[in-house]
Amino acid sequence: MRPTGARARTPIASLLLSVLLFSGVAMAQAAEARSEDSPFIMLCCLGPLLLISLGFAVFGILWAVFYPIMFLYGVIFSESNLNRMMSDLVLRERASIDHFGKDPLSTLKGGHIVGGIKETGLVYANVVYSPSHWQLLIAWINQLFGGRIDVLHRVISAGRAEAKQRLREQAQAAGWDDVLNVRIDTAEMTPASKPKGTRAVEVFAYGTGIKFG
Amino acid sequence: MSPAPIMQHIRDGIMVVNTETIAGKVITQNLGVVGGSTVRAKHVGKDIFAGLKNIVGGELKAYTELLEESRTEAIARMVADAAARGANAIVNVRFATSSVAGGASELFAYGTAVTVE
Repeated sequence: MRPTGARARTPIASLLLSVLLFSGVAMAQAAEARSEDSPFIMLCCLGPLLLISLGFAVFGILWAVFYPIMFLYGVIFSESNLNRMMSDLVLRERASIDHFGKDPLSTLKGGHIVGGIKETGLVYANVVYSPSHWQLLIAWINQLFGGRIDVLHRVISAGRAEAKQRLREQAQAAGWDDVLNVRIDTAEMTPASKPKGTRAVEVFAYGTGIKFG
Repeated sequence: MSPAPIMQHIRDGIMVVNTETIAGKVITQNLGVVGGSTVRAKHVGKDIFAGLKNIVGGELKAYTELLEESRTEAIARMVADAAARGANAIVNVRFATSSVAGGASELFAYGTAVTVE
């Protein structure tokens, strides 16, 4: 169940911390000692700190260069990507409706089923979907005037349709005939305490798969 | 995106459904609410990449994967809890999500452990 990355994470984190701690202690010692080879010691201790700040600087420069490019990419392509995804979804939906003979998802609890049920089990699927920054900008401008914010509505419904379609595909892969009591949860990825984080919604769809006996 | 978690439950001999009853079976004993939760995060690289992908919009695969893994783990813990109580089914399963910090999320799965015949 645990991925291998989780085991490696703790030693790496402790290594980083110990390097930082070591450099801090060594710096303090060097400041006290003031010996002749202090430039060398100072370099040794400041090295890791310098490297880290260099990393931040490089990241900042790359961010400043690439952000406008990616933003422009979003301006040009986010609408057409959304449209392409929606038309893809229609095709996939049609394929799974062909497979089941009907739309397998329902919010009924199974009281309507006449024949016996052989087997049941949980099915779930999720997707994290985000609007582009360009779409967020449009939404912000729309918010000033109030009323319907169509662009965000479309993004979220695309995410929801994707989650439902994945649920159908999961049910198909697990060999269920029908999915009952489907619930669709929508959760925000970004906590309210951190409003500048990644803007995305998570759509999670789950239900009970059944096999007719 | 594989049906592996479902197979896992069948191997444990515990049926997990989100309906109130299991069709064709009778609930004989109620063993109380069982739950499993997990808090997980992706490493910083994936977070940064997700932040970049966010500019363009669309699906953030790293986070989809993260939540999928977490949920599977939460369900596995819930099933282990139910197995420890001697249940053979969990009915009326619900999920709850809360984000503790940016990029880390808590997934909670809960349901009623029962024995069915």
